[in-house]
Amino acid sequence: MIEPQILIILVKVVIVIGGLMTAAAYFVLLERRMAAWVQDRVGPNRVGAPLSQLNKSWKDLRLFGLGQPAADGVKFILKEEYTPAHVDKRLFVLAPISILVAALATFAVIPFGSVLPNGLFWDEPIDMAVSSGAGVGMLVVFALSSIAVYGVILGGWASNNKYSFLGALRSSAQLIAYELPLGLGILGVILATGSLDLDKIIAAQAETGWWFAFTQPLGFFVFFVAAFAEAARLPFDLPECEQELIGGYHTEYAGIKLLLFLVAEFLHMIAASFLIVMLFFGGWHFWFITGSEANPGWVHAILRIAVLMTKIFVVILFFMLVRWSWPRFRFDQLMAFAWKVMLPLGLINFVAIAVIDQVKTMSGDSIPGIDLMCAVAAWGVCIAAWVVISFAGPLVADNLPRLDLDPFDVDSQI
Amino acid sequence: MNVTALLLAQVSLAFDSPMAWGIGLGFAGLALRLAPRVAWQKFGLFAGLIGIALIGVALPPLGDALPQVLFWLMAGLAVVASGAAVTARSPVYAAIWFAVSLLGTAGLFLLQGAHFLGIATIVVYAGAIVVTFLFVLMLAQPEGHSPYDRISWAGFAVPIAAIGVALVIGTLVSSLPNFAPAAHPDEILHDAHVARLGGQLFAKHLVSVEVIGTILLVALVGAIAIVIQGNPRRKSVTQEGGTDL
Repeated sequence: MIEPQILIILVKVVIVIGGLMTAAAYFVLLERRMAAWVQDRVGPNRVGAPLSQLNKSWKDLRLFGLGQPAADGVKFILKEEYTPAHVDKRLFVLAPISILVAALATFAVIPFGSVLPNGLFWDEPIDMAVSSGAGVGMLVVFALSSIAVYGVILGGWASNNKYSFLGALRSSAQLIAYELPLGLGILGVILATGSLDLDKIIAAQAETGWWFAFTQPLGFFVFFVAAFAEAARLPFDLPECEQELIGGYHTEYAGIKLLLFLVAEFLHMIAASFLIVMLFFGGWHFWFITGSEANPGWVHAILRIAVLMTKIFVVILFFMLVRWSWPRFRFDQLMAFAWKVMLPLGLINFVAIAVIDQVKTMSGDSIPGIDLMCAVAAWGVCIAAWVVISFAGPLVADNLPRLDLDPFDVDSQI
Repeated sequence: MNVTALLLAQVSLAFDSPMAWGIGLGFAGLALRLAPRVAWQKFGLFAGLIGIALIGVALPPLGDALPQVLFWLMAGLAVVASGAAVTARSPVYAAIWFAVSLLGTAGLFLLQGAHFLGIATIVVYAGAIVVTFLFVLMLAQPEGHSPYDRISWAGFAVPIAAIGVALVIGTLVSSLPNFAPAAHPDEILHDAHVARLGGQLFAKHLVSVEVIGTILLVALVGAIAIVIQGNPRRKSVTQEGGTDL
């Protein structure tokens, strides 16, 4: 006899994996439709239900192209699984598996809502995360995102191809460089809540109604940009920039193995959106709608899931819009941005938040409107830091050849 | 009691304990895995697996089925991957096996309730250090040492090292029951374990933490100073016919 807790966890795992795979497939469709919309094209709108295959007199249903993900999936699976002769076979297979496992496992600690109240078939409220992460949920996400680097490096190296390897090197340098600002952005939030638990971080924002995007704007910007870089989305998609590296680390891959890489990339984007929403946009909280109590009723519980999903959807739409609005960085720009702009901004944010938080704690409730004053101070710090950084270390943003530089200087920047 | 007598007593004790046989076989297997002949290597794998199984038989069973299974998975993963990391011919494979064994170790930490320690192991070691190793190894020589590098002294040194380490570990294991570990439910199993750890580090050991941080910073600055080396290097590049625009 299986214990009910284990059964509930199994059900959660099935729902999360199934839901994520479906979501990733349909986000591909959404991305293609968005791309078409931005570029004034039509996009994939044909594939629906091929009813004419069943009966000649019936017409095919188009359904706005909703059948496209299924068609893509079938195509990927039925394609010839070609493994080039010159690759390191074991690592070549291991790479896509490891990257997908790491990407999926991240969602074990991510809550998909608040809690479901007891009722129907269970006696206790059900936590909406597969595992609560034992109080270190934030770190688990970090650990797994650092494991995902292996998939990229191994894939690029095992392919035994110059372009793949260059892509892998770029990718790992980028991921390691942007993990620092990512962590610094999170630090402010952890400092303000005093917990690594994602549930508690959301609850802290729900209680006060002040989302951390308002009280820690600088941390939010740093984290947001670093999350784009970690998800390797444009303008940070140097690991696989087509014009220079064919396909980057997955140049040699085809069929289902390539599918694993692509799905993992989308999962990274979804995970990044979840983190952005939970850390800085209050997770499931929305004023006047969701309430902030720890054990909500059914209405609040379902509203919370809906609010969280809507927020995530909006962030993902933003991800997709940015893809078609911003040209890709050059590699030296990417590195300069990480080390000369993002890192100082993250440090400034950390110090500022520590000071503001301390002032707030010391004043207690004695000063009316202290929350508003702290938020205004944080925004002031944010704007001042941004201005200072942009004057102190301007990025070389044009793509003209630097004829004034010695070739060695140019190389040393890369 | 002097050391020799202690060792002799341990050796005589060892002949009727599966644990000692397991450790001995494991190390013999490890030594054979490093041997130059393929047939010996296969035999070494066989011996090593039997050794691990014997050690497993000798360990006391845990209470519940689920922790038992998880423990064996994680412990087996850690031990087998460590062995593979030591014996792998290609340094890239060795680094990957090392990362796998770190995952096993982190799993064991998690199983013991040391969540922060487990996750930190993955973040720091598997996520940062081994990735840096891989970086360097992949840029260096992917095939590992050439054969003549491997055989020079290994045939003599490896068995001696294996026997020595087996003796040390065997002595430690056989005397382990004497050190019954005291349970500290208030330390590592505490709900706010991370907060307590942070409190200890930054209240009680603040000076040590700061000193270590400063030393690391100095090392970093030193590394950068060595790498830059001022202008001479740049001149040598152009003298050797670097591309002049």
